[in-house]
Amino acid sequence: MSSQSLLKWGIRAYLTLFFIYLFIPLIIMSTATFNDSRFPTIMPWKGFTLKWFDALWQDEGMWQALGNSVWVAAGVMIVALPIGVACALFLSTVEGKGKTFVYSLMMSPLLTPGVIIGISTLIFWKGLDVTGGIFLTVIAQTTFIAAYIMLMVLARLQRFDRTLEQAALSLGASHWQIFRRIMLPYLKPAIISAAVIAFLQSFENYNTTLFVKGYDTTLTVYIASKVRTGLTPAVNALGLVMISITVLLAIAYEVKRRREEAANSANHDA
Amino acid sequence: MDSSVHLDQIVMRFGDFTAVSRTDLKIESGEFFSFLGPSGCGKTTILNMVSGFLSPTEGAIRIGGEDMRNVPANKRPTSMIFQNLALFPLMTVAENIEFGLEVRGVARSERKKVSDRLLNLVALPDSGKKKVAELSGGQKQRIAIARALAVEPRVLLLDEPLSALDLKLRQHMRTELKEIQRKTGITFIYITHDQGEALTMSDRVAVMSAGKLQQVADPMTLYRYPQTVFAASFVGENNKLTGKVSSVEDDRVSLDCGPLGQLTGTTRQSLKVGEEACLFVRPEYLRRCEADTPQSLRMTINELNFEGSFVMMDARLHANQQGVRVQLNTDAYMADLTPGAEVSFNYQPSEAIVVGGAHV
Amino acid sequence: MFKQLCNRFGTPISVGIAALLLVWLIALVILPQLLMVDYSFRPNLLPSEIGGPKDSYSLVNYVTLFNNKIHLGIFFKTIWSSVMVTALTLVVSYPLAFYLAKVATPKQAALCLLLLIIPFWINEILRTFSWYIILAYNGPLNAMLQALGLIDRPLRFLSGNGGVMVGMVYAYILFMIFPLYNALESLDANQIRAARNLGASWAKTHLRIIIPHAKPGIATGCIMTFMLAAGSYAVPALLGSPGSRWFTQIIYNWFFEGGNWNQGAAYAFLLLILCIGFIGLVMKVFKVGLGDIAK
Repeated sequence: MSSQSLLKWGIRAYLTLFFIYLFIPLIIMSTATFNDSRFPTIMPWKGFTLKWFDALWQDEGMWQALGNSVWVAAGVMIVALPIGVACALFLSTVEGKGKTFVYSLMMSPLLTPGVIIGISTLIFWKGLDVTGGIFLTVIAQTTFIAAYIMLMVLARLQRFDRTLEQAALSLGASHWQIFRRIMLPYLKPAIISAAVIAFLQSFENYNTTLFVKGYDTTLTVYIASKVRTGLTPAVNALGLVMISITVLLAIAYEVKRRREEAANSANHDA
Repeated sequence: MDSSVHLDQIVMRFGDFTAVSRTDLKIESGEFFSFLGPSGCGKTTILNMVSGFLSPTEGAIRIGGEDMRNVPANKRPTSMIFQNLALFPLMTVAENIEFGLEVRGVARSERKKVSDRLLNLVALPDSGKKKVAELSGGQKQRIAIARALAVEPRVLLLDEPLSALDLKLRQHMRTELKEIQRKTGITFIYITHDQGEALTMSDRVAVMSAGKLQQVADPMTLYRYPQTVFAASFVGENNKLTGKVSSVEDDRVSLDCGPLGQLTGTTRQSLKVGEEACLFVRPEYLRRCEADTPQSLRMTINELNFEGSFVMMDARLHANQQGVRVQLNTDAYMADLTPGAEVSFNYQPSEAIVVGGAHV
Repeated sequence: MFKQLCNRFGTPISVGIAALLLVWLIALVILPQLLMVDYSFRPNLLPSEIGGPKDSYSLVNYVTLFNNKIHLGIFFKTIWSSVMVTALTLVVSYPLAFYLAKVATPKQAALCLLLLIIPFWINEILRTFSWYIILAYNGPLNAMLQALGLIDRPLRFLSGNGGVMVGMVYAYILFMIFPLYNALESLDANQIRAARNLGASWAKTHLRIIIPHAKPGIATGCIMTFMLAAGSYAVPALLGSPGSRWFTQIIYNWFFEGGNWNQGAAYAFLLLILCIGFIGLVMKVFKVGLGDIAK
């Protein structure tokens, strides 16, 4: 065998192993959902059942936690999006001394372990007599999610053609009109994807939330407590539901992308 | 309406760097005025001061006699066409054109009338619904013009708007721009480093170098009677011969050009005997002659380049090995002109310009 | 700085930008951290004693850690294991990132990226939990290994660090792959061809051309992975045993079981210093600045 084809086979084997590693947990978890066993496992196989979906449906704590998670995620989106966009605008405008320092400060929440963000938020707000709960969870998550939003918006902003602003100015637009008619429409795609990412990040956050949640359990924290205390395959059912939603979203995204690609190439041919 | 632009004793400094030295210039109402110069000469800075993107360090910009010092860019009676055109990519063609009216609160139906009229003016009717990305380079150009005209500016500022187009289109757009300027009667201030553009379109041209105005004149005068060494070298092709003034008689000046001998030309400056000066002869004013006639230059031919309507000859002067260029009419092209041949060319003193100073 | 903002956006919008930025940085980022540090240097007091004579700065909370051999051991174990997780993640990620950036066709790469993202849209806890199922004493992995005849008796994956590390590599691999991929993608493919053309072996090409180019990506990936691993709570809590506790679990216990926030704050501050130290070290070793990170 030549070294070229050896390399090819090497790559293939590696990719196969890698994606098995990536997907086997999802497959096992999904399969375990249908196992009629008291424990979340696929072995021994005790027969096919759907009763864990039923158990999930009946789980009031889960619904409660899901509600909390949605509220928190919505709150984070509302608070963190303006902050992230503002910081990106700031960084794309300002030059000179001190910028690196401010940038480092803005990046620091991303390089700080989540538990520490949770702890420091908890301590800070205790001094103001605010204890853990949905509000504090929103605040703590915003601390670092705003930085993610900032990076995503900044990436798009860096490709912005600043003569567009001058052009609008020379046509008589006010600063506010430029912001609303030129800047925001340009940033819209980045803001939408940042909002989605913010929502997902918030939804799945555990480390930070754990410290500031108070008595308001989010879905992730609820799952963790289920997993740690009363092992039940209902958790698997929840996992399967999430996997299905994710895969459906991924397929929808891929289909949309392909359609757009096709539409684009059709446009170019015209 | 008075739409003159007065640069009243303006100076622009960025820190220690002087981008525009003290300048006083009045651009007339309805004039097509160009600033011509190499990149970094300060011409774009001037445009940005007129548009309001920059405020002069000293002096004032007056438009129609009105001091613009406290008028921000979006309140000035100017609009600008940018080098990259800066069309708003997320808006349709019509939305682009109507933008300036939209931000002024003009009603939709009124805006539509204006954009339809302007699309007709730039010969692109029915393309209002198109996306900007669907337009060709030339079409984008016209939309940018229409957009700038929609706000009915008193002064239109154009920052090298043709530089992105290919040669054919560029030449075509020159005619169109001139035509639009004639129709609308708006003052055009045009920035370019392309002398062809400046000379063909402008009523007057200001040649700039290193932040200083070198000469302001109509294209013909600028070409025939450059007043500085820079203007003479930058505008059109020119052969520069340096020397010292040896005699002055009315507008006739003789220079002692060392090994080249005495050469005579015309000047519009008052020069003194002994002063350093340059004599400029354009390639098309050099004619074949016998050796040792007055104003004759003996040279060795390096190269002959066929350019279509003429032949451009590169040669080297015998006396000092300086390179010169001679433009030969194709029909006057002579068979004995071959690389390596030694020939003489001379010029009429009335066609050579003498300018004081030795350096740009 | 504010003047530059005003020039571009006008005063009202600039005030809004500055206000949002300052509220975030001061009230959410800086002050809480400072207060945590302040907390860590104060003794744990009853509410009535706060502000009293006993309320003074001291190192007592830090001394506690150095006197507690178990906690100190866990602290160093956390560092070591996090370094191992980082190294392992890098080794696993590099070939894939290289494949995605330089070998795969755009279509293959798009598909792979999509496949990569899917598992990460699913809750970290659930992903980790599925590893719990796989690695269980009676789980499928042991069954498979036994069926293949590789082992005689099931192994206890979940009682040592092994399970935790497998789970962590899985959980944080994306934070390594994406920075690597971004860095490698910007490498001009002709440089690789040129190196190969000049007779360099694959190993040499990677060592001399590709890895140096990918340095900022490697640094970013390592920093993120280390930070996430050292600060992880969920993975060791789910996949570890009481014998393989993580430093974050001790911090949690100080807060919610020991009820000694000051002590917890001191431990948290040490964890933070550890992460800052690691970031500094990586940036020094790779000679990259903060500006190169998270690009």
